[in-house]
Order: sequence, then C-alpha cells, then structure tokens
Amino acid sequence: MSWLNGVTVSIVLFGIGLLGLVLRRDLVIKLLALGLVNASTILCLVSLGARSDGAPPLLGISTVQNIVDPLPQAIVLSAIVINFAILALALVFVMLLVERYHTTDSHRIERETAEEEEQEELWS
Amino acid sequence: MELILLPLLRFAFGALSIASGRSRRTFAVAALLVDAALLSRLALTLAGGTATEMVLGGWARGLGIGFVGDRIGLTFASLVWGLGVSIVFYTWRQNLRPYFFMLLHLLIGAAFAMVFTKDLFNAYVILELLTLASFLLVGYGRRPGQIWASLRYLVLCSLGMSLFLLGLAVVYVHTGTLDIAELALRVAASPSAPWVRLGGALLVGGVAVKAGVFLFSLWLPAAHARALPAVSALLSGVVIKMGVVELFRLSEVFPLELTFGVLGVATALLGILFAVQTYDLKKLLAFSTLSQIGYLLIGFAAGTQAARIGALDYAVAHGLFKALLFLAAGEAARVVGGSDVRRLVDARCSIPTATRAALLVGILGIVGLPPFAGFAAKAVLEAGIHPTFFHAVVALISVGTAVSFAKLLPILPGRCATRSDWSTTTAYAWLAGAIVLFLPLSIAIVPRSMLSATWRWPAFLEAFAAVTLGLTLHRLLRGRRFRLPQAIFRIEEGTLVILGGFFVVYVLLQFS
Repeated sequence: MSWLNGVTVSIVLFGIGLLGLVLRRDLVIKLLALGLVNASTILCLVSLGARSDGAPPLLGISTVQNIVDPLPQAIVLSAIVINFAILALALVFVMLLVERYHTTDSHRIERETAEEEEQEELWS
Repeated sequence: MELILLPLLRFAFGALSIASGRSRRTFAVAALLVDAALLSRLALTLAGGTATEMVLGGWARGLGIGFVGDRIGLTFASLVWGLGVSIVFYTWRQNLRPYFFMLLHLLIGAAFAMVFTKDLFNAYVILELLTLASFLLVGYGRRPGQIWASLRYLVLCSLGMSLFLLGLAVVYVHTGTLDIAELALRVAASPSAPWVRLGGALLVGGVAVKAGVFLFSLWLPAAHARALPAVSALLSGVVIKMGVVELFRLSEVFPLELTFGVLGVATALLGILFAVQTYDLKKLLAFSTLSQIGYLLIGFAAGTQAARIGALDYAVAHGLFKALLFLAAGEAARVVGGSDVRRLVDARCSIPTATRAALLVGILGIVGLPPFAGFAAKAVLEAGIHPTFFHAVVALISVGTAVSFAKLLPILPGRCATRSDWSTTTAYAWLAGAIVLFLPLSIAIVPRSMLSATWRWPAFLEAFAAVTLGLTLHRLLRGRRFRLPQAIFRIEEGTLVILGGFFVVYVLLQFS
C-alpha cells in the first residue's frame, strides 16, 4: 500500500473539491468544496514533510537527526488561519445574498444580478 | 529597517483609524507622509548603488524571510504611494466609514510588503491578505451586484492561491528553501528536472489568477466594473500589479519566456477584443486592464534588459492612467446615473469639466500619444523587443486600444461648464500631472541611455499611425456590434479555465 499516502489522498480530495466547485450550483456547497480544496493542499504540505520514523520537532525531547521537517507545519498553521478567514467572510457574503434573493443557487443569483444591472441602466 | 516599517506602520494606521474614526482622514495623510519619508530613504540607498536588504529574525540569508529594496520593489512602491495620495484626495468629501480607511491602510501596507518580499511563503500570505482586503473593499457598497462580484473574486483567487501553495510545497520539498534568490540557483543547477516544471506551473498558474492574466482572471471585469470608483482604481492600479510583481520575481527563477509570451499575447488580444465590444465605460476600462497586462508579460517574455525595464515602466504608467480613468469614469457615472457610453454622451453637459479633462488626459495616456505616459513607456518597451511577432502584437494592441477608447471621444466636447469640488479635482490634477510629466519622471526607473534611444522618429510615427488607424477603424465599425460569450465569467467556467490554464502553463514549461 505504498501508493496510499497523504499526497495521493490530498490529490483525490483536491479533485473532489474541484468537481464540487464546478458541478454543484448551491453556493454553500460550493464554499464547502472550496474548503475541501484548501484542506487538501494543507494535507499535501504536511505529508510532504512527514517521515514514518520521524520524531516530533521539539528541541530537548528529540535529537536533530530524526525529527520531521518543522517548516511545513509552521507554514500550514498560517494557511489554516487564512483559509478559515476566507470561508467565514465568504459565508457572510452568501448570507447577504440570501437575504436579498432568497436562494443559494449560483446561476439564479448570476441571472438576477445581471438583470438588475440592466434595469439600473434603464431607470436611473 | 524601512522595508519592514513601511507595511507595519500602515497596519498600525489601519488599527488607529478604526479605534478613532473621527480622525481617519488625518491618519491617512500622516501615513502618506511617513511612507514618503521611508521610501525616499530607500531610494537614496538604492541610488547609492546598493539595494537595502534585510532578513527577519536574524537568520542567515536563504533561511529567514528576506526583504529587498531593489529597483522593481521601489518602482511599484512609489506607484502605490502615488495612487494612495490620489485616493485620499478623491475620497476626502465622500464621508466613507472608518472601516473603508482601515481596509485602505491594510491594502497599501500589504502592497508594500509584497513588492519587497523575496520569500515565496511570505508572498502567499500577503497575496491572501490582499485578496481579503480587496474582497471587502469591492463589497463595501453592499449592493447585491458588488457582493456577487466580490464573492466570485474570492472563490477564484482562493483556488488560485491553493495552486500556489501546492507549487510552493513542490519547490520546498526538492530544494529545501523558499527564498527567491536561493531558488534561482537551485533551479539553474537542474533546469530540466520534472519538479521544476510542476512547481513552476503551479506557482505561475496560481499567481496568474491574481495578476489579471486573461482566462485566468475571469473574475476581474465584474469586480472592477461594479466596485466604487476609488476601489476600482486601487484594484487596477495596485492589486493587479502585485500579482505582476510576483510573476516578475518568478521569472528570475523559472525559464518563463515562452509561457509569458503565449499568456501575454492571449491576454492582450482577448482583452482588447472584449474592450472593443463593450459599451459600458467601466467594463471597457476593466477589459483594457487585461489587455495592458499583456504588454507587461510580453516585455518580460522578450528577455532583453531594455524590454524588462520597459515593462516595469509601463506598469507604472498603466497604474497612473488607469487609476485616473477609473476615478473620472466613476464620477461621470455617478453624475449621469449609469455607465453606458451612449447615455454618458447624451448627458455629457452634467459631467463636470474637470472630470472630462481628466478623461481626456487618461485617454491620451492610454492610447500612447507623445508626450504622455503611455507613449514614453511603450517606446522603451518596444526598443527592447526583438522578435518581430511580439512587435506586431504590441502595435495591434495599440490600434485596438485606440479603437476601444474612440467611443469615449464624444463625451469630451461641450461648452457647458459644471464645477466639481476641490478634492476630486486635486486627485485628478495629481494623477494627470504625473501622466504629463511621466517622461522626466521615468528617468528614475529607466537609465538615461535607454530613454534617449527611444526618442526617435519611428516611435513617434508608430504612435500617431496607431491612433489614426484606430480612429478610422472605429468609424468603420460603428453601429456594427458583435457579441462575445459572456458565460465564461461564471464561477464554474472560471474554475475550469484556471485548471486548464495550469495545464497549458505546464506544457509550455516543457518546451522552454
């Protein structure tokens, strides 16, 4: 089972997320799919730095020779925070759209905003 | 020290303008003065012959997060500062909330950090910060159209940044460093390794989403057209350029000449096609931004020093005149109550005289008539381009730009004088002054020998020929409208296109 590791799993998850982004019209599910894409990137980063025989990178507990690389883990922390912020803000904006249009269907919102734009041109 | 103070002080000013909202305008002016002092110190150091460098946390070079105040960085930082001045004047009387000023400080601070950083992961964090700040700024007006545009922007940019992060992982696993200068050495040591192609394609594909490269940046037209005028000016002048800066930095690492050539020609031609077709003033400006990014990429694809400096020069010029055009177009659209060009022509008497003058200067700048900004920068750029194919594309885009902006000429005349208030007029005058005086100003960017070499008859002739041809074509085409597919601007298509674009870049890297 050497092919079944973090990297391959993350590629599969990335693909599922992309499919969700392209195929599902519901905005909340789209955002969940985006979250999956971002999470799979994080999984990829962590597993690239991982070693099966590695010790945690803690000075004083492990020796420098057999620790896993600490840098991807540090990077991932920032990336997780950023992705959280993005998802939270995006959901707030979806909420504002739902208040206006009472739907989370991306195609309908697209149509309605386009129509509103044209009407603004006519009336104003 | 200045390199890190620039962004940090901006963030502090952002916090201050939320904490004490009454004096938000004072803080904005104070921030501009502080920036000016710090930037001029950096410029003096660079003029002395050495670029300021620093590594955070006292680590060795290549280990810590590095900053460098080189020519690229300082050029873009000055552009950001100049646009910041005009935005502060433009919004002086608009009574915007402290929240707007906080985001403005955040955006400019992040831009300062972006132009100086030499570290890939730092670039990732700052690009995401820029995404978030501009996402909130686009949705500032809370109109549904704006909210939908900014949501699409966020989703597509976040996807692009995921690609960037994957590329960063690939590069880190194989080289063990994220420092651009260090990476360039490692890649040069093994230029044909498979991971170089994969990492390069992921990084370039990810940044291209932010940089306004067409077919990657399908979010751009809606976001730029629907945002507030001041925000559109910032997006076109600053945020897009930050992606371009990162592309420039990546071009020092990976062999990207072919990729930039193909992407540049594609974005230039498609952008100009959409710009010719649209009759919405703000959309026209947004599409023309896409085509102008093509110039920058072509400049970097040509591979000569002159073309690179020309591209840098053009990035500044474009930031100036596009910001001016967006500010003036925004005011005109607000007065008339719509941004359709034909409505603007009908109601041109209600548009203030200063706004129409600003539009005129912006148009003269963008079509590249001497001695305005577009001409000077394009002349330097073209002097460095040797392959005749690229030269032909650049000339074609000049004609296309003239065709698409010829629609606006009927707005300009009219004896009716309407006054506008002093603050917007000052903002226009600041940018227009920079556009008119661009040639002397660009001595700071372009070496004098290069500048004088471009001051020749062929450049003049080409500029006038392009404009004349553009006006003639506009006459011939008038009334004949063609429709281009608009469905590509949806989220679904945007996602697919980003993925496809990544594969294209991957294949192109194979051949270079």
